[in-house]
Amino acid sequence: MSEPLLAVDAVDVAYGNAKVLHGVSLRVETGEMVFIAGRNGAGKTTLLKTIAGFMSPAAGAVRLEGGDLRGVRPENVARLGVRYVFQDKRVFSKLTVRENLELAAYPSGERLADVVARVVSVYPAMEKFLDGKAGALSGGQRQILLIGRALAGNPKILLIDEPTEGLAAGVIEDIFRLLSGMKGRLPMLIVEQNLPVVARLADRVYVMKEGKIFQELSSRAEIEAPGALEKNL
Amino acid sequence: MTERLRRFDILLIAGAFLLLLPVLKFQRATDFIIFCIFVLSFDLLYGYMGRLSFGHMLFLGAGAYGVTLFADRVSPNPYLSILFAIAAAAAVGALLGPIAVRTTGAAFALINLAFNQIGHFLALIAFARFTGGEDGMSAVFSKAGFLDLQDKRVAFGFCLACLLLTCWGMKRLTASPFGILLRMIKENETRVKFLGYDTFRYKWAAYVLSAAVAGFAGALSILNYGYVTPSFIDTNRNVEVIFASLIGGAGSIYGSLVGGVVFMTISNYLATYIPRWEMFLGLGLLLLVFRFRAGIWGMVSTLEVFRPRREGEGR
Amino acid sequence: MITTLVYGLTIGGILYIISIGLSLTFGSMRIVNFAHALVYTMGAYFLVVILRVLGLGFLLSAAIATVAVLPVAAGIERFVIRRLYGESLDYAIIATYAVLLIGVDLIKWVFGATPIPLSDPIGRDVDLFGISFPLYRLLIIAMALSIHAGLYLFFKRAIVGKIVVAGLEDKDAVRSLGIDVDRHFAIVFLIGSGLAALGGVLYAPITSVHPYMGFQILLVSFAVVIVGGMGSLRGTFLSSFALGMVIALTGRYWGPAAETMVFAVMAVVLIFKPLDV
Repeated sequence: MSEPLLAVDAVDVAYGNAKVLHGVSLRVETGEMVFIAGRNGAGKTTLLKTIAGFMSPAAGAVRLEGGDLRGVRPENVARLGVRYVFQDKRVFSKLTVRENLELAAYPSGERLADVVARVVSVYPAMEKFLDGKAGALSGGQRQILLIGRALAGNPKILLIDEPTEGLAAGVIEDIFRLLSGMKGRLPMLIVEQNLPVVARLADRVYVMKEGKIFQELSSRAEIEAPGALEKNL
Repeated sequence: MTERLRRFDILLIAGAFLLLLPVLKFQRATDFIIFCIFVLSFDLLYGYMGRLSFGHMLFLGAGAYGVTLFADRVSPNPYLSILFAIAAAAAVGALLGPIAVRTTGAAFALINLAFNQIGHFLALIAFARFTGGEDGMSAVFSKAGFLDLQDKRVAFGFCLACLLLTCWGMKRLTASPFGILLRMIKENETRVKFLGYDTFRYKWAAYVLSAAVAGFAGALSILNYGYVTPSFIDTNRNVEVIFASLIGGAGSIYGSLVGGVVFMTISNYLATYIPRWEMFLGLGLLLLVFRFRAGIWGMVSTLEVFRPRREGEGR
Repeated sequence: MITTLVYGLTIGGILYIISIGLSLTFGSMRIVNFAHALVYTMGAYFLVVILRVLGLGFLLSAAIATVAVLPVAAGIERFVIRRLYGESLDYAIIATYAVLLIGVDLIKWVFGATPIPLSDPIGRDVDLFGISFPLYRLLIIAMALSIHAGLYLFFKRAIVGKIVVAGLEDKDAVRSLGIDVDRHFAIVFLIGSGLAALGGVLYAPITSVHPYMGFQILLVSFAVVIVGGMGSLRGTFLSSFALGMVIALTGRYWGPAAETMVFAVMAVVLIFKPLDV
């Protein structure tokens, strides 16, 4: 079996003396859209943060294309191609939307015009907000901007933390279309509590409970089975 | 074994300081003791409550000037003067506390520094008429009661008793609910607030207490010296007590005592051999911050001998 | 009265140049950098050395002195500041204070403690509103304004400036884009230190050059930063000139109390606008 794109191997993470992740293992293969579901406090965000380098595992390994990510600083993890979109929908509010994208384009060397074009093609309405302060955007628009930022420089994998949280139904559809448009072309590991979205998009689902991987649903059949997701939460 | 020893620690401390006597002159030994009291007062804020103040000399100075002015203008009774000095320092603490205690971290350090500067200015210039300005003023105490505090030996004994009293008080305080709460505030103030406590009042109380003990030390200093000058309220000397607290180990009574003695030893004796004193202090501080955070007592107390025995462990 | 006002603006200008670096470091790294005062002092002393030893004109000496301090600032950043990242604030305060002590003592060792007076490099007066002012002081005000304008543009237009603005708001998010924020904050630290040195250079002819000059200006700088808000360009600008005025006006009526009044103002501000550090 070839090396998965992203492999998390028996990772333990602790805040001080309190262990929050216990022996968590998962993998993401090229082209896959993998979801992590679970209640609040299950450790999903901690897991993503650890992969992105913001937290250090006390045990276990995180590998990207076989290369060890442990101890690598978050900015370098990002440069290696792992892009993390935080759960809070915070943008650089004092900068314009275009400048937000400019910062994203800066380390990758990709042309700002291309980065902007990508976002606009996915969400044409963003065009008129480009030169306004990012702080003025609505929650859904921010989420789209955040994903647009993360796409700069052709990353290898996207880690997205609760993209539809706090958004209205219509906006969720926009996000859904954005994500499904990327499905298959860009591997993604997404934490999501909106089960219908998970059910429609996931190639595989990991269910987390109390800092452990509780269950893996590894086929569309398993995911689409009635009540499969709900009953595990 | 050390558990049993702990019950006698006040006596141990007394004994340890008495050991100083063959080595130092009485007045110098008294100096050591008084400085330790000052370090204890500082540690209450820094070690237990977790707030670094860069202006603690203000309270030492308040006590020093307080005791002198009282003896000069009201009554030369040394005991009354000392009590007044403590009250004066506590009053300053009570007045400034509400402002200072609302801040934390850098702002706390700086605002205390600013207060110290204001105090220094008042003593040196604004109230020079009363304080003698740059020249300072002398303090003459009468002999009251059966102790002749002018006698250096008696003064030593008296100050030692004061130190023991302060240690005992600190011990009781830190073991009390108040003390525990202070340490909780140091660790996580928000959580303490969520538990329903008005942390502001506790912090204020600690600040006033710390000021009072510092004032106590200030008063005793004047008893020992008989003369007060603005150097007792000099902002630049704050680094001394900070150094002492760090080198001894913040957050413990023994740490403060060790730190006080060590610092006084260095500054009194090594200073003649170390030409660049401030550079030495600076380098020492850097070393402490980057390598020896726990201080001497901190390191010593992690040694096997001092760890409390656990259930079932053999001898 | 006009003289006092102009004097207040001059002090305000100097305060701005010196304090803006402190404010930016404070806002970005959350470190109270006492060593900032050292860089300021070094600027003044380097100026003295270059003026006397190399015998160059004031302008050139000033420029060289300001630049010469940068390697020292870089050293402080690399060996002290960087190690204090994420540490408890108290240790940062103590460590930078220690650096200040060491540096001041070194200066005392090399130059001695006697104050070195420097004369007004321009020595010409200008007539405004019927009163004559030293041109030098007006120049300082002009410099402060230009620097402010320059910094404003820097943070608005330059990519480094924008990264810092974003980093001040959300450091982790900037890192997640692949940008080394710490290095950019270090750049800001250097800029701020350079400005502190410039402040020392500019102020040297007005005050006297002595090893403890940093201590005198340090507290006032902190007051400026606290009153104006850390990391705020505009806030520091306004508070510099406001406090400069306080110093000048108080100095006119009760000389020695000038700086003390600044602290009183700071205390009042802190009562009504508690700090969140």
